[in-house]
Amino acid sequence: MNLNYDKASIEIPQSWRAKAPILFSAGLILLVIGMACSFLAPATGGDNTPALRYLTHSYLANFVYVFSFTLGALFFILVQFLTRAGWSTSIRRIAEILMTMIPYLAILFVPVLVMLFWGSSALYGWNASAKDMENSVVAAKATFFLTKEFFTIRTIAYFTFWILAGSWFFRLSRQQDESGDTELSMIRQKWAGPLIMIFALSISFAAFDWLMSIDADWYSTIFGVYLFSGSMMGFFAMMIVISMLLQNAGKVQKLITVEHFHDMGKFLFGFVMFWSYIAFSQLVLIWYANIPEETNWYRVRLEGNWELFSYGLIPVHFVIPFLFLMSRHIRRSRPLLLSGAIWVLFAHWYDMTFLVMPNAGSAEFFPMFGHFLGGIGMLCIFAAMFVQRASGVPLVAMRDPRLPEAMSYANPIL
Amino acid sequence: MSEQKPRKSAEKKMPKAFGWMAEYQDEHSLLAAARKVRDSGYTKTDAFTPFPVHGIDEALGIKPTVLPFIVLCAGFTGLGIALLMQWWMNGVDYKYIISGKPFGITPASIPVAFELTVLFSAFTTFFAMIALNKLPKFSNPIFTNPRFDRATNDRFFLYVEATDKYYNRDSVKELLGGTHPDSLDEVLEDTTPSTLPRPILLALLLIVVTGLIPAMIILNMRAGYSTAPRFHVFFDMDFQPKKKTQQPTTIFADGRIMRPQVKGTIARGQLEEQDAFYLGYDPSKMTMLEKSNSVMLVSAQTPSDGNAPVAATKTPDANQTTPAPTVATEAPKLPWIDKLPIEANEESMKLGKLKFETYCSACHGYAGNGDGLVHKRADSLAQGYWLPPTSMHIDRVRIQPVGQIFNTITKGQGKMASYATSLSPKERWSIVLYVRALQRSRDANIEDVPAEFISTLDEEPKSASPKTVSTK
Repeated sequence: MNLNYDKASIEIPQSWRAKAPILFSAGLILLVIGMACSFLAPATGGDNTPALRYLTHSYLANFVYVFSFTLGALFFILVQFLTRAGWSTSIRRIAEILMTMIPYLAILFVPVLVMLFWGSSALYGWNASAKDMENSVVAAKATFFLTKEFFTIRTIAYFTFWILAGSWFFRLSRQQDESGDTELSMIRQKWAGPLIMIFALSISFAAFDWLMSIDADWYSTIFGVYLFSGSMMGFFAMMIVISMLLQNAGKVQKLITVEHFHDMGKFLFGFVMFWSYIAFSQLVLIWYANIPEETNWYRVRLEGNWELFSYGLIPVHFVIPFLFLMSRHIRRSRPLLLSGAIWVLFAHWYDMTFLVMPNAGSAEFFPMFGHFLGGIGMLCIFAAMFVQRASGVPLVAMRDPRLPEAMSYANPIL
Repeated sequence: MSEQKPRKSAEKKMPKAFGWMAEYQDEHSLLAAARKVRDSGYTKTDAFTPFPVHGIDEALGIKPTVLPFIVLCAGFTGLGIALLMQWWMNGVDYKYIISGKPFGITPASIPVAFELTVLFSAFTTFFAMIALNKLPKFSNPIFTNPRFDRATNDRFFLYVEATDKYYNRDSVKELLGGTHPDSLDEVLEDTTPSTLPRPILLALLLIVVTGLIPAMIILNMRAGYSTAPRFHVFFDMDFQPKKKTQQPTTIFADGRIMRPQVKGTIARGQLEEQDAFYLGYDPSKMTMLEKSNSVMLVSAQTPSDGNAPVAATKTPDANQTTPAPTVATEAPKLPWIDKLPIEANEESMKLGKLKFETYCSACHGYAGNGDGLVHKRADSLAQGYWLPPTSMHIDRVRIQPVGQIFNTITKGQGKMASYATSLSPKERWSIVLYVRALQRSRDANIEDVPAEFISTLDEEPKSASPKTVSTK
């Protein structure tokens, strides 16, 4: 089948490109204002650096929040090639653009490393000097695994893998735009399997290093899967939002049909459930075993003024999106699916806050407000990066041999 | 395109017509025809294809099924029943303390709630699907057409039923004829005789009759009796040239087939039954007791509850220094050893402290007062009905010889379980040593304090404590 497109209909809207610098500056300003809000935190309990702790925790949570979309995109691309999926070909390029944003976002992780080498233990308690550490378990971990040098080496390794795998797949996809060579699909199908295995390890260890080591005394072997499940959920919500915004701007109108939205909605629904399953699996074992070094992590979250917030995760992240996205009619309705996806984006931010912020201190108004502003700022920066990355790239893999299959795809009526 | 001639038999008897069935070569013609029929307003239609055809539901105008809503209701029912059941069972009807967890709905209830939700949904899906499809259905008039057999192979069929409210025999024929079918047949009633063929009937009868034979034999045997001896199929297995336990024999002089053990034999795994180190009492002294060995052994092998009332009847004259503990009570005493079989040094004391604090302190408390965490929690939950753990510092325990304390750890007592599987004999003896040290700490003389520490004491304690127990 010969597909001819109006070239303008598969490009990023011109108006978006004009807004990108504004978005970027606005994001930075919001981020800075958000950080400044941390300094309004009341100092409690002889702790003279609460602002630094709120600020660093907030930054990390918001960074992982937007970064997880790109990790989800990388996994999505790998799975599409692993399963030789046809339905997703017309939406795949948008995910590929998300995937190639990893090197840009990696720059945003540099402040965390700088902070480590500056010697601050405000975020990672294991970075304190050995004699300051009261907890002998953490002190033991901080002799080899949790040292700033090894931490940096591992972080660089994760980013290297993600960037190499993502940019290689993107390059092959772009080559196919020119040549239409089916061999380029075959190469990616062949390598998707091995890469997905490395990906599974990398995201698990990144979750252990970046998020779990904040409370280095605590451990949960399912934590990598926890971050993965939330990332995939956030990614599908992000895909739905981006696709809808592009279509509302008059782009990719006929390429992404209600069937694709329906399928992304199904994935979104599925990962909402998967996240709940994983999050509950983590909770119930720790709750039942009731071992002090494990329960402390939940104790911090379920006591004081974090308690209401943490219990709020159940309706925000499970009950509301689960019941809302359950119906096929909602998943096939554009405005309803869009509102569901936006809600899930918020739920994912809520989850990241739940994972990180309670370790910074009690939930005070100003730091939390600043954290929220920072989250919006990060999203603005993310959007600007997306526009920058999508510029000059067709929004659909035009000559992918599976594109006709994707466009004639239909969900059966149940 | 060519219309098949109606069969002769059908023409003669004029069987009932159920509708029209058109046959197509591929799914595209089927879809086109289905859309045409749908647009003409017919709703009682169906399509038969060898594989699932995308878009056929929409082409036939099939409305979405109500099944998901039925399943949703069933899922909520399952969820509700599961939560209600667990709330009732664990929160109201049978409150049972499990690891000090709260009663009623807890995070541990969620897996059961999840399972019941899935169970109810799955069964409802299955049975509601069967019911909505009006299954089971053993026959359908469309099967009378032999061409229909290819519906499972390489042909596509479209069926318009006569029960449709717009159905008109000639107009439907015309409509379907206009879609260029391979064949167009009227679906007729099956006129072949519905009675079973004679050979099949006979075979079925034969099977039923044959199946009754074993039942008849069993009934006959249960009702009657027989004097003939049992028939032995394998004679040499039923009658083997050997003796069984407890049987007499002529081979040995004493006439018994069972032989006693050679003197000094210790059976595998029974070495521990011979040594005070493993028992807490000296089995060789059993013979010197008044009561028979068997009574002593039974009392030693069962949890030592029986000793408690005897100890309680002891005179509460606490001021009197008790002599050797073994003679202090008139209990059915075993020959408990009152000397530790391990060396009382710093190493074993440390081991005993470690193990005591690991295994015993949860109930008995770190100081052995019987006020451990479990006791405190259970006491607050049971509100007076809880029997507290024994203090190490009451007279009954203080006068016990070390062997008896060892036996209590090994066998358990009352609510206390046996710790034989958790602690090796050496560890148990170390605990006994530590318990003795704890008791001594409440009952020490000034002479027991090392000389260099005497000056650090706040005031001079009373010269002699009323009770002393030898640690030995």
